[in-house]
Amino acid sequence: MSIVDLMSMTKPNLEARKKILAKLKGKELANCFQCMKCTSGCTALKLLELKPNEIVKLVNLGFVDELPNSDIIWTCVTCLKCVERCPQKASPYHIIMALRNLAVEKEAKVPEGFLKAVSQILETGLAEPPQKIVTRKMETVDRECLNLPKIRFPKESFQAALMKAMEEK
Amino acid sequence: MARIGVYVCHCGLNIAGVVDVEKVAEYAKTLPNVATAKHYTYMCSEPGQKLVQNDIKTHKLDRIVIATCSPRMHEETFRKAVAEAGLNPYLTEIVNLREHVSWPHTHEPEKATEKAKALVRMGVARAQILEPLEKHKVTVEKKVLVVGGGIAGIQASLDLANAGFKVYLVEKSPSIGGRMAQLDKTFPTLDCSACILTPKMVDVAKNENITLHTNAEITSVNGFVGNYEVSILKKPRYIDEKKCVGCELCIKVCPVKVPDKFNENLTERRAVYIHSPHAVPKIATISPEYCLRLKLDKDVCGKCQAACEAKAVDFKQKPETVNIKVGGIIVAVGSEVFDATRMAELGYGRFKNVITNMEFERISDASGPTGGKIHNPKDGKTPKTIAFIQCVGSRDKRFHEYCCRVGCMITLKQTILAREKIHENIRIYVCYIDLRAFGKGYDEFYTRAREMDIDFIAGVPSEIHEKPDGSLYFDVYDKSTNKLVQINPDLVVLGTGLVPNRDLEKISTLLHASRSSDGFLLEAHPKLRPLESAVAGVFLAGACQGPKDIPDTVAQASGAAAKAIGLLSTGEIEIEPLKAVVDKDLCSGCRICESICPFVAIEMKTEKVKGEEKLRAEVIEAVCQGCGACSSACPTSAIKIQQYGNKQILTQVDAGLAEACAEGGK
Repeated sequence: MSIVDLMSMTKPNLEARKKILAKLKGKELANCFQCMKCTSGCTALKLLELKPNEIVKLVNLGFVDELPNSDIIWTCVTCLKCVERCPQKASPYHIIMALRNLAVEKEAKVPEGFLKAVSQILETGLAEPPQKIVTRKMETVDRECLNLPKIRFPKESFQAALMKAMEEK
Repeated sequence: MARIGVYVCHCGLNIAGVVDVEKVAEYAKTLPNVATAKHYTYMCSEPGQKLVQNDIKTHKLDRIVIATCSPRMHEETFRKAVAEAGLNPYLTEIVNLREHVSWPHTHEPEKATEKAKALVRMGVARAQILEPLEKHKVTVEKKVLVVGGGIAGIQASLDLANAGFKVYLVEKSPSIGGRMAQLDKTFPTLDCSACILTPKMVDVAKNENITLHTNAEITSVNGFVGNYEVSILKKPRYIDEKKCVGCELCIKVCPVKVPDKFNENLTERRAVYIHSPHAVPKIATISPEYCLRLKLDKDVCGKCQAACEAKAVDFKQKPETVNIKVGGIIVAVGSEVFDATRMAELGYGRFKNVITNMEFERISDASGPTGGKIHNPKDGKTPKTIAFIQCVGSRDKRFHEYCCRVGCMITLKQTILAREKIHENIRIYVCYIDLRAFGKGYDEFYTRAREMDIDFIAGVPSEIHEKPDGSLYFDVYDKSTNKLVQINPDLVVLGTGLVPNRDLEKISTLLHASRSSDGFLLEAHPKLRPLESAVAGVFLAGACQGPKDIPDTVAQASGAAAKAIGLLSTGEIEIEPLKAVVDKDLCSGCRICESICPFVAIEMKTEKVKGEEKLRAEVIEAVCQGCGACSSACPTSAIKIQQYGNKQILTQVDAGLAEACAEGGK
């Protein structure tokens, strides 16, 4: 189901809109004049149909309810092109991040990959574990054979500190 | 004992909608020395003014307090009304109840009324110690300096000259004509730019009242309104202006090739060159930064000298300074075009077939590099797909927040030109954010473009790519169809906007004229005094005040000329008496005021006091703008502004605090 289908049934929820605006302190959401620059260049548009301009307008008009439950907000690959190039500094990226946070707060369905990344961070302190890769010449290399310094894992106390920080927030 | 009249203005509902004006007027009656207090719908209207004038007679008032809008708006109006009734106009005090009370406190009417009372109390206290002042008259030079020889400067100069005023027109480049001389056609009528401009350029050269200084800059401005002393630096051309006939023999033999700025660097010119095909004056100039002999300072080359039959080449020419006296100055230095390399994602500078709208203008111009045929710069072929991208550098918080006001219309014109010049088999796209066609005949022009099968896409691309085969492509998401359109253009034209002239920094410093936050020169009032700067006798014309198209520029230039004529036509002007005055007994000659004055209005003079030489500050009344910087800096309180001395300000502050103290500082 695309966002358009979901939206055709809903009424604006101004309370939820306020919540998002509070999360976006200092980000100039209202300045978006729909120049399409973000969507024209969006990395996630061609495959995943993410239209950042639409998300901005939906939030601006208060159509917020369905967005946290929708898959679409998880398709952003955070390339930050829209942040760099937005002529009005309205930055759809920050809005998408606020929606993702709202989704977690609402305990909406979060795609598996993101949950995996979170547990990975909790376990090891790293978003991605060090991996071996295969080069074009079909050689398998790791950090050691490339003479790269070893990645230091955080101390044991890290996990508790991270949990505490998250709870406080 | 003063007899004060207090008048509270409703300003329709602007003030009365928030402030309880009746209460304020009643309160005013309780203040000391107030003979009468009234409130009225529009104090600035004729009946409002009459009310004051009648009261001055019947109540024998000698001080007037008017609680109304900002003094910037109507102080002058009320001073005139008071003067007509026979009272000294400087005995009027304005209390600002609109900008200072009702507008900022819309949601708290009770507090606003209290604040209004306090301000009226302060105004009444101050009014009692105002002193009558007289305006002074000074004679003025009936001559005008026009800085910048673009269409604005040309129009202003011709209007002034035709009205009988002597004009000095100073242009930085070797020819007048400016930006308009580079254009092919003009919107919305598609008049040929050169055809309507060149006759005016020739008129300037022929007019007996206009002295033209090209290749020249102003280097210093002293004096004050009506009596400015200006130094003009004439840079050497290394060509005798009187001998050169513009035959171009020198250009043919010059071996040094350099990019031609007039053609937006699309072609090359020689180190000795004539600015443009329609140049006025049509005489050669040698660029000292490129000419072998001048650059190396050695006895080399000299081919032009040998070729010149008129013996006009003179490598020993020196810069020359001309000093003039003028009554007014019109600034018409124009604007520049945004440097598109700064918007890196669009690839200007990296991709040869991405050009600016100024470059398109030269390519389309009959006197341009391709003789008016539209060719790709990269391979010289006729493009099959042209894409125009709007708002490059404008409406963009990374560069310039304002709308460039000309980009949309330039693009519409260029799409029409492209369609007319290469009709078949060509697709023309315009990627825009909003299309603004707001002037007379402009929306009709937009319709004309749509009728010529131009594809308008509501959206702009994020980036332009180059394929491995060297061709260009970009994606753009169309707002109206919800489709991602891939365009493979042969030629991309960027709708670059207008940006402040880099010379404005120097010029604003020379003239003490301030600039607005966008970098353009600031007008004295955005609606009511758009043609003047805040500095008396300095007028603004054209794109130096803000981006403008040709019709607006010409209108403003004629307006500025009319303003200058209005100022100088009687041969004398009145100056405001609200200036700094020095108490000679207190002045210690420390020179702090001299160093701090932004208008250079303070002169230090030595005087003999009891046989001893003493240094003392003296105010040049006509130069002083009454800003008060000297007064607050003076360590001995020797210098003060008329009507704004310590006495008046402290009395006002005391009155402001009086009630607050009585209430226990609540």
